[in-house]
Amino acid sequence: MIPTSTVLGAAGAHLLAATGIAIPHINYTTLLPELILLGGMLLLLGVSALSPVRLPTEAYASATIGLGTASLISSLILWRDVTDRGPFSTIAHSIEVDGFAIFFLVVVSCILIVSPMFAAGYLRRSGIDGCEYYVLALISGAGAMFMASAGDLILVFLGLEILSIPLYVMAGLDHRREASGEAAMKYFVLGAFSSAIFVYGIALTYGATGSTNLATIGAFLAHNVLTSNGVLLGGLGLMLVGFGFKVAAVPFHMWTPDVYQGSPTAATGFMAAMAKVGGFAALLRVFVSTFPSLASSWQPIVWVMAIVTLVFGAVVAIVQSDAKRMLAYSSVNHAGFVLLGLQAASARGIEGSLYYIFVYSFLVLGSFAVVAAVGGADDDRHGIELFRGLGRRNPVLATMFAVLLLAQAGAPFTTGFFAKLYVVEAAVDAHSYALAVVAMGSAAIAAFFYLRLVFLMFSDSGLPIVTQQNLSTAQATVSEPLVELPGSSLSPAYASPGGGVATLVTPSATAIAEEILDTQITEANEEAPIAVSPWVISGLMLCVGATVVFGIWPQPIVEFAHQATLLF
Amino acid sequence: MIHAAFLIPLLPLAGFALLAPLGRRIGNPIAGWIATFAVGGSFIVTILVFIGLFQQSPAHSQFTQSWFTWFDVGHLNVNAGLLIDPLSMTMATFITGISTLIHLYSIGYMEHDKDFSRFFIYLNLFVFSMLMLVLADNFVLSFLGWEGVGVCSYFLIAFWFDRDDAASAGKKAMIFNRIGDAGFLIGIFLIFQRTGSVQYTTVFSRLGHVGTASLVGIALMLFLGAVGKSAQIPLFPWLADAMAGPTPVSALIHAATMVTAGVYLMCRINPILHLAPDAAHVIAWIGVATAFIGATSACAQTDIKKVLAYSTVSQLGYMFLAVGSGAYVAAIFLMLTHAFYKALLFLGAGSVIHAMEEDQDIKNMGGLAKLMPITGLTFLVGWLSIAGVPPFSGFWSKGDVLENAWALTPALWAIGAATAFLTAYYMGREYFLVFLGERRWVEAHPEATEPGSAQYTSRGVHPHDASWKMSLPLVVLAVLALFGGFVNLPFHPNLVFLERWLNPVVGATVRQTHFSVGQLWAFSLADAGLALAGVGVAAAVWRRATDRPALEPRFLFMAWFIDWTEDHLVARTGSAFSSFTSSVIEARVVDGAVNGVASLVRGTGDRLRKVQTGYVRTYAMGLVAGVVMLVAYLLVRVGS
Amino acid sequence: MIAAASPIVLTGVTESQRAFPYLTTMILVPVAFAFATMLVPKGQRWAHRAMGLAGSFGVLGIAAAVLDQFQAGDGGYQMVSSHALAAPIGLSWSLGVDGISLFLVLMTAVLVPIALLGATERTNTKAFTVWVLLLEAGCIGSFLSLDLLLFFLFFETTLVPVYFIIAAWGHERRGYAATKFFIYTFAASAFMLVGILSLVFIHQNQTGVTTFDIRLLAQTHLSGTADVVLFLAFTAAFAVKAPIFPFHTWSPDAYGESPAAGSILLAGVMAKLGTYGIVRFDLGLFPHAVVVLAPLLLTLGVIGIIYGGIVAAVQKDLKRLVAYSSLAHLGFIVVGAFALTNEALSGAVLQMVNHGLYTAALFLLIAMIYRRRGTFAISRLRGLQGSAPVMAAVFTVVMLASIGVPGLNGFIGEFLILAGTFLTHRWWAVVATAGIILAAVYLLWAYQQVFHGKPNLEDEEEGFAEITVREGLVLAPLIVLIVFLGVYPKPVLDRITPSVDQIVLHIEHAAHPSIPIEGQPGTAALRGGATVVVHTEGTK
Repeated sequence: MIPTSTVLGAAGAHLLAATGIAIPHINYTTLLPELILLGGMLLLLGVSALSPVRLPTEAYASATIGLGTASLISSLILWRDVTDRGPFSTIAHSIEVDGFAIFFLVVVSCILIVSPMFAAGYLRRSGIDGCEYYVLALISGAGAMFMASAGDLILVFLGLEILSIPLYVMAGLDHRREASGEAAMKYFVLGAFSSAIFVYGIALTYGATGSTNLATIGAFLAHNVLTSNGVLLGGLGLMLVGFGFKVAAVPFHMWTPDVYQGSPTAATGFMAAMAKVGGFAALLRVFVSTFPSLASSWQPIVWVMAIVTLVFGAVVAIVQSDAKRMLAYSSVNHAGFVLLGLQAASARGIEGSLYYIFVYSFLVLGSFAVVAAVGGADDDRHGIELFRGLGRRNPVLATMFAVLLLAQAGAPFTTGFFAKLYVVEAAVDAHSYALAVVAMGSAAIAAFFYLRLVFLMFSDSGLPIVTQQNLSTAQATVSEPLVELPGSSLSPAYASPGGGVATLVTPSATAIAEEILDTQITEANEEAPIAVSPWVISGLMLCVGATVVFGIWPQPIVEFAHQATLLF
Repeated sequence: MIHAAFLIPLLPLAGFALLAPLGRRIGNPIAGWIATFAVGGSFIVTILVFIGLFQQSPAHSQFTQSWFTWFDVGHLNVNAGLLIDPLSMTMATFITGISTLIHLYSIGYMEHDKDFSRFFIYLNLFVFSMLMLVLADNFVLSFLGWEGVGVCSYFLIAFWFDRDDAASAGKKAMIFNRIGDAGFLIGIFLIFQRTGSVQYTTVFSRLGHVGTASLVGIALMLFLGAVGKSAQIPLFPWLADAMAGPTPVSALIHAATMVTAGVYLMCRINPILHLAPDAAHVIAWIGVATAFIGATSACAQTDIKKVLAYSTVSQLGYMFLAVGSGAYVAAIFLMLTHAFYKALLFLGAGSVIHAMEEDQDIKNMGGLAKLMPITGLTFLVGWLSIAGVPPFSGFWSKGDVLENAWALTPALWAIGAATAFLTAYYMGREYFLVFLGERRWVEAHPEATEPGSAQYTSRGVHPHDASWKMSLPLVVLAVLALFGGFVNLPFHPNLVFLERWLNPVVGATVRQTHFSVGQLWAFSLADAGLALAGVGVAAAVWRRATDRPALEPRFLFMAWFIDWTEDHLVARTGSAFSSFTSSVIEARVVDGAVNGVASLVRGTGDRLRKVQTGYVRTYAMGLVAGVVMLVAYLLVRVGS
Repeated sequence: MIAAASPIVLTGVTESQRAFPYLTTMILVPVAFAFATMLVPKGQRWAHRAMGLAGSFGVLGIAAAVLDQFQAGDGGYQMVSSHALAAPIGLSWSLGVDGISLFLVLMTAVLVPIALLGATERTNTKAFTVWVLLLEAGCIGSFLSLDLLLFFLFFETTLVPVYFIIAAWGHERRGYAATKFFIYTFAASAFMLVGILSLVFIHQNQTGVTTFDIRLLAQTHLSGTADVVLFLAFTAAFAVKAPIFPFHTWSPDAYGESPAAGSILLAGVMAKLGTYGIVRFDLGLFPHAVVVLAPLLLTLGVIGIIYGGIVAAVQKDLKRLVAYSSLAHLGFIVVGAFALTNEALSGAVLQMVNHGLYTAALFLLIAMIYRRRGTFAISRLRGLQGSAPVMAAVFTVVMLASIGVPGLNGFIGEFLILAGTFLTHRWWAVVATAGIILAAVYLLWAYQQVFHGKPNLEDEEEGFAEITVREGLVLAPLIVLIVFLGVYPKPVLDRITPSVDQIVLHIEHAAHPSIPIEGQPGTAALRGGATVVVHTEGTK
């Protein structure tokens, strides 16, 4: 492979010699996973544009799965190289090729393999079964990969955008539903806002250290003592905001529930997984590997962030009446757990975070897939009460969902348990006992709403359960949409300068919202069995299988994360 | 022969084991006979062992027969084994003997009962437990018997379980006993802690190491057990209620055997009492007080069995008076004779009740002596015996007790003597009202039967002596009550058989009274005088009259309101307190805290959810706020 | 610093590695049968029940084999087997049995088949069987784990089956009860997890070895405060699980709302996870803290005894009454555990088994009454003894065992506990002894209400069916064990005491290093001088 790549490299150099831009030596094989995704994406576009017949969505899906597999394999090959030759970097040290990066390449590839299985059927149902979804998925996947392996803040930012922009579009993919557009709008506006802050952070860092290259910055900080590190810290803080937004850490999480709820459910799952993967990959690399010397400064911030995120996510989740919103807050809670690993700022911490992210991706993908399946043809039946009796309407689906939920709650002999254990272990190791206790406490609170869903699924819709929770749920079912209505009017309103938004409530939105409410109430105890396509089932099989198998036999993944950290 | 001792408790146990599963099928009356033979057999074995022991020289008159290690942890080694010595054999002999008679009696008494076999299952189990109590070679095994008899008495009092009074009485008996048992247990713990053993012989051999304070503690704790079991102040009320059980039960358990277990225990631990004179005084005073209160209460009862019940309480008080005065032989002597005449009286009362169709009110009886000659005659013997009229057995035993009481302090003697007079009087009252005077039952009966009291049939009653099964025990017991006193005659050192027999056990600790012959005669005359006075007064008052309100004050009828007080002070406040605990402390405080946390979390969630307005500007504001706080913090850090 | 994957180092436990892995099989058999049951198609109730019984009886067989292999007199762990599970975390699959866990495992193996036979669930027997089998695996696993993390895994695993058993087959307020149970215990064990991890890292910093093996962790040197804090963290979990006053309020709901099998396993087995944890981990790992905090725990235990009795006395529901009575009985066990004498501790261990047996029997009987009358309300039951004398007799035996009447198993445990406690903590023992009076009060009261008296008229014609042969067979083994353990507990105690002696010695040595390791334990200063025979009066 090396010769070919050098040939390519030589060719590229010769080609661009005239322009006078000195381009660095590029080892293309190390970029293979990213290249596969991007190339595949172009291919998909071309095919869908040129093909005379309208190809079935399954075709695109299988193509995407193929590409995901390919990138997975190439990542594993890279892994072998790295384990043999040790980590190295390319393109003027802007791409780091190390265990850490490759771990994320693998995770991203897995997400790209699994998510199309869930998307295919859904897209057909919602009549948006073009190649768009897959193309977007591939692009943002590539973005996430870049973030993971970025060795330069500029590239981190590029990756961030490559990851995010497709997600904005995805959120608005379902043109029929007002909510979808609204979600896209909100996500985009806030995303742009946070990106701006992020870039500003980069700028400050550059000003303070004179470089955007992480390795250089690290070296610089190692050798020089800053008389006043205010600028640098400011930059650090702003970057933290940017990442915090991506991974939905409190208080930068506020977009999450609305966007998760509004976006087409298939997209929600993907977005929940991919955004966190990319965000945390860069976050961990930048903070732990580049700014360890400043740990004493940023650890307290992360400490507070983690606690707030854990508690807020768990506590607010239990009063949700909409499954998607509930899962949104639960994902906030999960983000808090991953932050535990970051806060520890230790190898063990990174291991923990890696492991947690890996586990989380499968859990969240699977969970949203089930929600999508229950959501029905027009993807609007997400009220928690609607899960009542699922155990009889579709036992397989219900059982798998139960496993995924219990795993998220951290039940033993699932990956969820070891994930939580791993990060808490790191926290304790770093003597942040309070953080550890709070984390477990939030897990206990979280267990409540996971269990409530499980309980609903397996309790017959006949007699209602007499618990205060359900009372509050009932109230919430009424109150929630009313709270959301102003939001749903935003997309048209926001353009007009100078707020005054609340007045402009478009009747259509209200109508839709109320209609949703009605359907939920009327169809609450309807007993139609839910049909699920083999695609979804096999996807769920993958998620649940991974959850249970590696829950009983954690060694491989644990070892993988461990090695990844060693080759950091 | 001694080695057959293990059969003594085992035979009744075998009877129980056989009847428990099959009794219902074996049925009436075979089940009764099986039970009777089981106990009779163990009586015979007891006699044989007794003789075997008798042949030993007093020095070697103590055997332990070890079966197996019950449990052995750390230093706590508890054996399942028997201690064969004069004391335990004396107990075993009269227990098995009287039990046999009462089993026989019960076959007749219970013949019409639908639960005939169940009755004998309980009786056999009781005899087994009672024998374990007296034969055990260590405190814990004795405690097994101790609790066993308590449970059996619970079963038997509540035997007619569909009668609420019986059910409640059974429960009451069990709970009062448990209070005592708690004391017994603590006593055992203290013994174990101080001596490192629970084996009678070992414990007694190690008393030298134990301080007086601990000894007093031990003695009083065990005495608390005795108070519960033997119905002393303040734990006696259960015994009166216990009369709700079948009469043979009252005779066997609540007169002859179980209630005397406390006395046995106190005699068994005589080495400890000897070293703890303070405890002994407490026992003596509680004993005499109980004797007096029991006797006075008996004077005002109208239920033929209640009179006997309070009389039993009183007599038990006498026994503890003896124990407290260090007169262990006298205590056993009285226990023995009391077993004879009180069992006799109860069985007599039983056949009267039988004859009166379950009516127990002595005011509705009278003139039965002619119609029920055997019962009347034997009852008369019982009366004179308990009254202490020479030469009936009661005279000798009670005299013995009173002498020793005097030796401790004359005050005790005075109260004891007063009680002796009362005893003669109230038993006389009962005898006159039941057996003499004109017949009040023929016409009085129908009104007298309040609904629900037993299986009363409106047809009149035809009093008559019962079958031989019921009469034979009466006769035998009458003979024993008449001549029972001769086992311990004071005249000559050679005639105090019982004292010499028990000498190996209590010889070292028993009080040695040194009265001149003159004093002895004075005591005897005083006793005889008091007894005859009591009889005379009874005759004077009750030969004609049927009720004398002045002599039957409500205060005495209610037994000094002790039961009433305990019920209001302890039982009712207790239940009120526990319902308060359950409804307030448990529900509101302890559980309230838990649910409080839950609803707190939910409330917080509800409040926080409001933050999610749905306005992008709010969200942006949140973002900015975060940024501001973050940067502010960092600047502070830089500043510092 | 980078925590390298450290090998699990074990203190001289390589023997019996090649012997047949009884313990591992005992955990895997029920799991295997659970999965097998899943494959059985729905609706074939008999098949599900058969699978469940086959699995649980298989476990019983293995347990019997273990009992047979077990060397009495050896206080250490036997049949140990260890394999690394997740090296970087330090998790290892190491199991072993000693006198303390042996009979708890046996009890579990006995109770599960009985629970399955006694269960009357007609709906979805498949899931029910699966959950019960998994619960059995979880409980046995917790009893056998020598690895703290593995223990925690099993300990938490048990929550899920119980949650579903209550939530799916429970009575009216099952949702509330199940959730309360799960959250309460789950939250409590959060502290234990943090405690476990802290202990491991303290040990790691001292030895450089990352391990959860309790035999190694027991040698960790802990500072006074760390000792106490960790002890409290562990005890939080166990106190809720047991439960110990005042952390008990989930239990009346859970016991009361769950189906018969659930109550049996909850009270009989799960409660013992808490007390077992106290004996194995609190006493085994934090001897100093135990000595310091024993008075606190003793007080809570005694309060539990009295409080449980008082509250039980006014319950209107038979199951809740039993729930509070077991609060009292677990109080005895806690007292026994923290009295720190051989007698009391052996009594506590024995009492765990005893309580399991008679409480299970009580719940079975209550379930039989419910099957006939459809109520647990004491006020609506009356005079049953007339129509069902045999059931009344059986109930009486069980009741007396639970009251602690000698000759039945309850007495031995309570007597040992109290006698042993009296040696070191006289006044606690005295108050606890008063508790046995309360036991008689509320149980006899309940018995009188339910079995004595004349039945109400409408019940009279409805009648009350006598205990059936099948029900009798289900109860028989429990009754036999109740009587046997009451009459001849020696073989059991002979196997318990050596392990208990080791623990007591361990604590005494930690508390007073002056005491030589060898020599009969229990004679030492812990008994407050006021001990056996010799110059007892010295300390007053």
